[in-house]
Amino acid sequence: MNATYKQLTSIIIGLVGFLIPFFIEIPGLSEAGHVALSIFCIAAIFWMLEPVPIYATSMLVILLQVFFLSKQGVLFPEVSAEYTPNSYTEFIGTLANPIIILFLGGFVLADAAVKFDLDKNLTRVLLKPFGANPKFIILGLMVVTALLSAFMSNTATTAMMMTVILPIIARTKPGDPLRIGLALSIPFAANIGGIATPIGTPPNAVVIGALTTQGIHIAFTEWMLLAAPLVIVVLMASWVIILWMYKPASKIIELDMSGSFQKNKEAIFVYLIFGITVVLWITESLHGVGSSIVALLPVAALSLTGILDQERIRKLPWEVLWLVAGGISLGISMESTGLAEWIITSISWNMFTSIFLIIAFSLVAIVMSNFLSNTVSATLLIPLAVSLATSGAAGEGFSLVLISLVIGVSASLAMMLPISTPPNAIAMSTGTIKTNQMTKAGFAIGIFGLMMVTLYALFYWPLILN
Amino acid sequence: MDEKIYILIVEDELEVMDALIKDLEKFEEFFPVEAANNADEARDVIDYILDHGHKVGLILCDHVLPGQNGVDLLIELQQLPEAAKSRKVLVTGQAGHEDTILAINKADLDHYIAKPWTKEQLEEVVLAELTDYVIANKKNLLPFMQILDAEKLSAAMRNNQMTDH
Repeated sequence: MNATYKQLTSIIIGLVGFLIPFFIEIPGLSEAGHVALSIFCIAAIFWMLEPVPIYATSMLVILLQVFFLSKQGVLFPEVSAEYTPNSYTEFIGTLANPIIILFLGGFVLADAAVKFDLDKNLTRVLLKPFGANPKFIILGLMVVTALLSAFMSNTATTAMMMTVILPIIARTKPGDPLRIGLALSIPFAANIGGIATPIGTPPNAVVIGALTTQGIHIAFTEWMLLAAPLVIVVLMASWVIILWMYKPASKIIELDMSGSFQKNKEAIFVYLIFGITVVLWITESLHGVGSSIVALLPVAALSLTGILDQERIRKLPWEVLWLVAGGISLGISMESTGLAEWIITSISWNMFTSIFLIIAFSLVAIVMSNFLSNTVSATLLIPLAVSLATSGAAGEGFSLVLISLVIGVSASLAMMLPISTPPNAIAMSTGTIKTNQMTKAGFAIGIFGLMMVTLYALFYWPLILN
Repeated sequence: MDEKIYILIVEDELEVMDALIKDLEKFEEFFPVEAANNADEARDVIDYILDHGHKVGLILCDHVLPGQNGVDLLIELQQLPEAAKSRKVLVTGQAGHEDTILAINKADLDHYIAKPWTKEQLEEVVLAELTDYVIANKKNLLPFMQILDAEKLSAAMRNNQMTDH
């Protein structure tokens, strides 16, 4: 290991953070709560400063909890008045949490889609109706990107779509703002599109995972019903903002999208499985089979037929599953040790109106995830929101689902900086745009998104949830 | 991006060297070109590039050189962990059958260009070799899409599992 000075400093800060709750007694916090605070500190610091990969921190979180907080661990083998220790299986079991399995299904589908060029060919077909006018081409690219990223990873979608737009950019005159508009439209649409479905992006998993541990089940379509209308509005606004800031000079764009759908047996089988899975997901309310259960269909069907072979199984992004599982685990212990409630009750929330709370959580989530990973931001904020709602500290009218949604959606709306999300980083790496151009447009979308989240949380979401 | 990927030309004849450099113009902006007149100089240049944290992506090497010949140089470089990753092209009119076979077997020669070459032919080979080099050695392939084989890079990227964290 070749640790840099910055890494070493971050590790030391993390360890100091871990040790503080062992030496300082905090009134009103249980002994187990102190330990949970230690783990929370080291996790938060490592997730923010990233001396180790964020999934590694998640693995550390699970290890520490099993060691120090579980019934089988060293500190709390007995039930006490203050703390009923969780079995270690509850912490490691988060790796098989329904939302993790749902994500696994999403990964498998996305992988098969890429293997058979389904993503590329869909793009070709879907872009056709948008003609050759730059304005509408950008809209078309954004709609297609958002649609794909709702079912695939935002990052993979962006990478694929960049390969569509780079040849166009190469043919455009150097000074044409169209270049910037194109290069910004893809990552922004991918970030926004990920919000639309439960499998769109990891922050959604964090939200749904946390709600599941509270006994609240959100169906695939229910999520889409809540999130998709917001996605459409923000996507359209982003299109307008991009065109307004970077008005294309070219009058016409030629899209060269050659290729055709593969028609061999395997490819057709993949299209079928893809179709059936998505249909089963969005008809959950009709047949009642949960989306995580449906997710096992592509996993099994594609493995059985050898389309998902050993090598491709190994290449699945398992680290994302660990990352989310670690976050859910941390939430469980923050809740059961009383840590989250202690953090929440140290503020007198009843001074604030629920609209203030919505704006505050949304703003904090957007600001945090501009600098941190969206998943990490959601992971750190969700346990607090959960206990804010369950402890009743926030007063009436403050729903757990509502505030969780606010956090999850807001985390995905942060796109001011190249480091904000991997799609942004990809767009920057092509060298077509400058940071300040991304910041300007990302800021406008962030502000608009914040207002929309607030409006939806006040008027639309309660309508659906009740 | 701080790390640069160099193209190294090893050639003793000045006119030939000039011609090669001129024909590689379109790559220069993304892949700086370095020149060496013989094997010793080539080693120094490689050391210099690696010491400064950069990489040698492609070596275009003449066979007939003063002192150590091109094939022997390429075989020797194949033993060094970093230089082994570089794509190696022999540009020559005079390497015999045996030397060429030796280069393919022991130096993992990637391509053989016979003199005289045409600009298009050279560009095509360099494009293909550098594309393979970045696919094998770089994590982020996007910055190369504007200059190298975009189709091939895009296929490589789509097959890597890309995630959102």
